[in-house]
Amino acid sequence: MRSRLLFALLALTAATRVAAASATLTATVKDTKGAPVTDAVVSLIPLDSAAPPPAEPPGEIAQQTQEFLPYVTVVQAGTKVIFPNRDTVQHHVYSLSKAKKFELPLYNPGQKESLVFESTGLVTLGCNIHDWMIAYLLVVPTPWFAKTDEQGQATATAPAGRYRIEIWHPRLSAALAQEIALPAGETTARDFSLTLKPDRRIRRGGATKTGGYR
Amino acid sequence: MAPPLLRFRRFSTRLLVIVLGLLAAALLSTYLLVTRANQANAIAHIESRLAGDVKVFWASIDFRKRFFVEGAKVVSRDWPIRTLYLQPQLDLKTLRTTMESYAARLNAPVFATFDVDGAMLATTNDSLTNDSCGPFRHLIKKADENGWEQNSDFGYLEEKLHVLIVVPLYAPEPNIIGWFGIAFPIDDRFARDLKETTQTEVTFTSGLTEETKRVLATTLPPNLAQQVADQAPAELKPDGQVMVTNMGPERYVTLYAPLELLAEDPARITLQRSLETELAPARRLEQTMLFILLAALIAASLIALAVARGVSQPLQQLAGHTELVAAGDYTRRIELPREDEIGQLATAFNHMTAGLAERDRVRDLLGKVVSPEIATQLLQSDLKLGGEEREVTILFSDLRDFTGMSERMAPTEVLTLLNRYLDRMSTIIEKHGGVIDKYIGDAIMALFGAPVALPDAAARALAAARDMADALEDMNRELEAEGKPALAFGIGINTARVVAGNMGSHTRLNYTVIGDGVNLASRLETMTKEPAHRTSIIISEATARAVGEESKLRSLGAVTVKGKTEAVKVFAVDIQPRPWPTRPQARPPTQAPYTS
Repeated sequence: MRSRLLFALLALTAATRVAAASATLTATVKDTKGAPVTDAVVSLIPLDSAAPPPAEPPGEIAQQTQEFLPYVTVVQAGTKVIFPNRDTVQHHVYSLSKAKKFELPLYNPGQKESLVFESTGLVTLGCNIHDWMIAYLLVVPTPWFAKTDEQGQATATAPAGRYRIEIWHPRLSAALAQEIALPAGETTARDFSLTLKPDRRIRRGGATKTGGYR
Repeated sequence: MAPPLLRFRRFSTRLLVIVLGLLAAALLSTYLLVTRANQANAIAHIESRLAGDVKVFWASIDFRKRFFVEGAKVVSRDWPIRTLYLQPQLDLKTLRTTMESYAARLNAPVFATFDVDGAMLATTNDSLTNDSCGPFRHLIKKADENGWEQNSDFGYLEEKLHVLIVVPLYAPEPNIIGWFGIAFPIDDRFARDLKETTQTEVTFTSGLTEETKRVLATTLPPNLAQQVADQAPAELKPDGQVMVTNMGPERYVTLYAPLELLAEDPARITLQRSLETELAPARRLEQTMLFILLAALIAASLIALAVARGVSQPLQQLAGHTELVAAGDYTRRIELPREDEIGQLATAFNHMTAGLAERDRVRDLLGKVVSPEIATQLLQSDLKLGGEEREVTILFSDLRDFTGMSERMAPTEVLTLLNRYLDRMSTIIEKHGGVIDKYIGDAIMALFGAPVALPDAAARALAAARDMADALEDMNRELEAEGKPALAFGIGINTARVVAGNMGSHTRLNYTVIGDGVNLASRLETMTKEPAHRTSIIISEATARAVGEESKLRSLGAVTVKGKTEAVKVFAVDIQPRPWPTRPQARPPTQAPYTS
């Protein structure tokens, strides 16, 4: 993912040539208890100029061992996302989110489907057969974004300038936004502290063995 | 003394009243205690059962809630609803019919769909509006804030008590795209259902103020249910309050428990069990007990009567005997063959009667041995040695030559003759008020004026002496007729101050008189043996003076008594021989003539 991102950025830089010297943002995201937050999306929405159109390659959300992989995906609006079934069973992917309502009716292992996501916003993906399968696709209006790793760190490189940083996380009730100016040739470090709701993902095979009796 | 209430003429009545009273008090108090304990037990038992019934109610509510929650969870993941939501514009008419399907699948009375903000989108219950779904919105808001997978509570839907449940519509979990709302009413049918399970009268009431108290659902008739609503306490602890209430003719143990409502004043669930029904087995026992109690009272009265008769009959018998004894009949004896106290009493009574008879016999004998006056004096006074000085007239009589005569007769003949003589003489003496002091062989010593003082003692003694002489004459005629030798006696009478009283030892006493006057009387009697005096009766001057016949008597001069310097004048009393034919016919001989 990260390599893909870097590749995209490099391509972008090469294509435009307009861009001045680039700037780097290193965001460290932690929760209120100070624990690093994984899968937080940091996107830089340019305030001075329009964002460049999306570039290849497309995003991918696979189904494997009855789970979506990855859990959180970020794409720029207008990007195509491929949904390959790398599982041994069929899946029925759907989303009822406003950003994109769709369904990919039951398709077999080995098949892949793809969709282009034009509208920005959150697309929550589910599988109609497997209640526990869930994935988030965040469609952002910018090519400059990054996802925190297990240390809660995300690094995004963008042309120097003013940006609105937006932080999103599945357990964040509302996206966090603030303005920032990224000076050329420098690495700006920012710490973010998020108030997260408890993780309410259901456990696979979550039915109790006693039939509900305590 | 016993209070007037317990005074009875008859012992049996008294015993009956006491025994029955005590027994009745004991039995009745036992009965009352048992009755009270039964009631307290019944109330406690009902109380614990009501506590269980409340749990059954909550379990029933929980069960239904869980059933609807699980059902709603299943249908919320249904694909058709997702396909509906997939459409760009949600088709509310189709959504409503989908709700009907779901409501039918779950048998849910009310089924509704809400959007993420709690606005009502569709419902199976056409009368429900977005406004009247306020309680649902409350639940949704709270569930959303807390991230609950469900929420439920009691609340009013169109003024009727319901249990409301909300379940999120996930796409996928935990992404909420809307809410399902399900409600089931707490109505009369619910109450009846609960009653079927618990056998308890169930009433749901609302309102904490008099105006708002109303019946929400009940198994009772409307008037009784309203009474339950009216009596509902305003303040309740979480585990409720138990009281005994009168409902129509029956008493109920009533448990009021609070039912917290969503954003409203709490309602009450009232569970009631009939006290009479609970007490029915105890009542049967109490009836049996009452029966036994009555039987015991009857048995006790019969036993008491029997005992009373066992006591009072012998007592009455004893009383009758006592009357007889009082009347002087000492011959009767009570026959009571029993070993107890009454038997002892009867034995003691018999002993007493025997004792009385013995005393009477002794008194009789005493009267024979001593004169009746002395006997009376002896019986009346304490027997003490010592005496008093008083004037007494002493009479001495003695048969002439009786010793010589007795030597010529058999001893029994002597005794018979002597007794015959003494009996006659004694009778005369006693007739004149004299007292036989003692018999000394054939001699008699008699007292006049002792122990009982007599004003004319001397005259009486003289009269007695004269009669004695007459009697001896009569007796001699009889003896002559029988061919027996005649008797002759001499009598000496003296009046003097002597000491009279009991003399002898502590164990044996004699009432007698002592003094010179006694000796003089004896001396005068001896003087009659002198033929020259020609008399059988000689009296002293003192006696003659007391009689006042000094002048009529023949003086015999003066004699000097042994040991006395002063001479005493003595007088002879002449007996006028009475003519034979004029004498009354002598008694025929009562004894066989003695032969010798």
